[in-house]
Amino acid sequence: MKTALKQTIHVSALMLFLIGWATAARGAGAQWGGYSYGGTVGKSGNCLSCHGVAANVGRRNFIDPVRYDHTTHAKIGCPACHDALDGTHPDGSQGKGKADCRYCHDDISAEYAASSHGKNASCGGCHDPHRVNTPSEISAGDTNKMCAKCHDSAGVAANHTKWLPRADLHMEMLPCVTCHTGSRNYVINLYIIKRQEGDRHHTFDLATHDELQKLAGSADILSLIDVNGDNYVSIDELRNFNRNPAYRGLRLKGMMTPEQASHSFQILDNRRNCTFCHASGPGTMQTSFIALPEKNGAFRRVAVERGAVLDALNGTPDFYMTGKTRNATLDKIGLLIVAGGMVMPVGHGFLRLLSRNIRNQKGKENRHE
Amino acid sequence: MNEKKMIYLHPTPVRIWHWLNALGIITLCVSGAQIRYPEYLNIFGSYRGAVLLHDVAGIVVALSFSLWFFYYSFGPHTLARIYVPTAEDLKHGVLRQAFYYFFLYFFGHPNPHHPTPDNKFNPMQKSAYLAIMFVLVPLVSLSGILLMNVSPLRELVLAAGGLKLLVGLHFLLACSLTAFLFTHVYLTTLGKTPTAHITPMWTGWEEDEEHGTTEQPSGQRI
Repeated sequence: MKTALKQTIHVSALMLFLIGWATAARGAGAQWGGYSYGGTVGKSGNCLSCHGVAANVGRRNFIDPVRYDHTTHAKIGCPACHDALDGTHPDGSQGKGKADCRYCHDDISAEYAASSHGKNASCGGCHDPHRVNTPSEISAGDTNKMCAKCHDSAGVAANHTKWLPRADLHMEMLPCVTCHTGSRNYVINLYIIKRQEGDRHHTFDLATHDELQKLAGSADILSLIDVNGDNYVSIDELRNFNRNPAYRGLRLKGMMTPEQASHSFQILDNRRNCTFCHASGPGTMQTSFIALPEKNGAFRRVAVERGAVLDALNGTPDFYMTGKTRNATLDKIGLLIVAGGMVMPVGHGFLRLLSRNIRNQKGKENRHE
Repeated sequence: MNEKKMIYLHPTPVRIWHWLNALGIITLCVSGAQIRYPEYLNIFGSYRGAVLLHDVAGIVVALSFSLWFFYYSFGPHTLARIYVPTAEDLKHGVLRQAFYYFFLYFFGHPNPHHPTPDNKFNPMQKSAYLAIMFVLVPLVSLSGILLMNVSPLRELVLAAGGLKLLVGLHFLLACSLTAFLFTHVYLTTLGKTPTAHITPMWTGWEEDEEHGTTEQPSGQRI
C-alpha cells in the first residue's frame, strides 16, 4: 500500500514537473541551451540587449527600445509572438520565428480579410508591431503615411479630384480611414504644426516633441496650451494659445478622425455623398482633443472643452467644415443683416400701399398740367 | 404736351455685366445657403452640386466684375463720375433723395434726380453702389477665391487671419449682399411704373418725360 502511494506521488510529481516545464517553455520563453528570452513572462530585456542596438543586429533587425517599450506588445514580451525560435538562437536558429497576429487579433484579422484590402497587404504591410500604438495614440498624419507606402499620393489626388470638390483639402485634413473604413464616432484631433524658423514659405510640419519641449522649457509641453495645468483645455486657453505672439510659428491643425478604427477597408458609397459629413449639423461636431507628440512616438490626447471647433474665430482658426462647424452667433448676425434688407421693401412697401390714392391723384394732376 | 425723351443710360457691356452679375449673385446666395445649412436646405439635389454651382457662379461674378471695372476704367472713363458721390451729393444730395424716398414719394412728388448717361445714379444710389462695388463685391470675391483654393493659397489664407475668419467674413458679406438685393430690387419698382427702371437695364434706353431730343452717352443727340 505504501509503495503504491509512493509511486502515485512520484508519478504526480513527474507530471506536474513536465506540465510546468511545457507551460513555461510555451508561454514565457524558458531558457534553452544557455540563451534566454527573459526570465519571466512579459520580459523582453534579454532580446533587446542585442536587438535594441543597431550595431549588434543590423538595421533590419533593430528594435527601437523606446518605441517598443510603449507598445502593448511589450507587455506580453518577445517570445509571445516569436515562439518559433528555439533555444539555439542566435547561434543556431535564425530568422524571425514568424509571429501570427491572429493569435491575439483574430476578430480584426477576420474583418480585414473580408475587406477589399485584405488580399493586398498583410498586417505587417501597414503596422510595425514593434512600434504600433493604440488608435488614440497615433496621429492621423501617421496613419496616412501607412497608406502612402503603397498608394502613390499623386495618383490618389488625381482619382479624388475627378469627383470630390476640394480634394486636396480633404486629403490634407482627413486620415484615409475616416472615409475608407466603416469606422465610427468621429472626433476632431488638434495637432500642433510648426513653421520652420526663418523660412516664411515653408510648409507647416507636425511639431515634434523636442521642438515643443524646447518651447515649454522644463514644464510639460501641455502647459503651452493648458496654462492652468488641469489636464483639460478650455476654449479660452485655446484662444490664448492661438493669439499668443510667442507662438506665431505654431498653429493648430484639426483632423476628423474615427474614435473606433475599423479594418473593413472599402469604398463606401455614403462617403461619396458629402452630406454624410457636412449635413450632420453643428451639434454633432463638438468633441475634440489636443494631440501632443510624446518622446516615444505616441500621441497623448487631452480633452478640449465641448464646442471649441464651433468658436467663431480663435478657438480653431484653421479648422472649418462647411455646414458642420458653423457658429451660431454669426448665423444670428447674418439673419439680422438679411432682415435689415427687408425693412425697406416691407416698411416702404406698406406705406406705398397706403398712399396709392394720394399718389394716383397727384399723378393725374401732373398729367393735366 | 410732354414729349417722351429717351436716354441711352446703360451701354451693352454694362447690361451684360449687370445680368450676369444678377444671375451669379442670386445663384451664389441660394447655393451658399445650401452649403451653410445643408441639413435644412437641399435645393440643387446634392451638396456636391451646390458646391460646384457656387464655385462656377463665383467665377462668373468675379469675371463680370472685371468686365464692369475695365469697361468703365478704360472705355468711357466715367467710373469715378458715375460711382463716386461729389461733395454736393454728400452735403445735400443724399438728404434730398432720402427725403424724397421716405416722404415726398408718398405724396406723388416727382423724383428730384434726372438721370443722364454720365450721372445716372442719384446721390443715395451712388453712395450705396460705391460701397457695394468697391468694398463688398471685391471683398466677397477675394474671400471666395481664397476659400476655393485653401490648400494652394494656404499662405494667403493664414495672412488673412485664418480659415475661420475668412469664412465668417465671406458669410457676413454675402448676407449684406443679400440684404442689398432685396432693397435694390424693391427700389427698381419705384419708377413711374413698376418696370420703368427695370426695362432700361435690358434695352439700355430709359424714358424721361421732358421736352427735347434723344440723348446718347457721348452727348450726341439723335
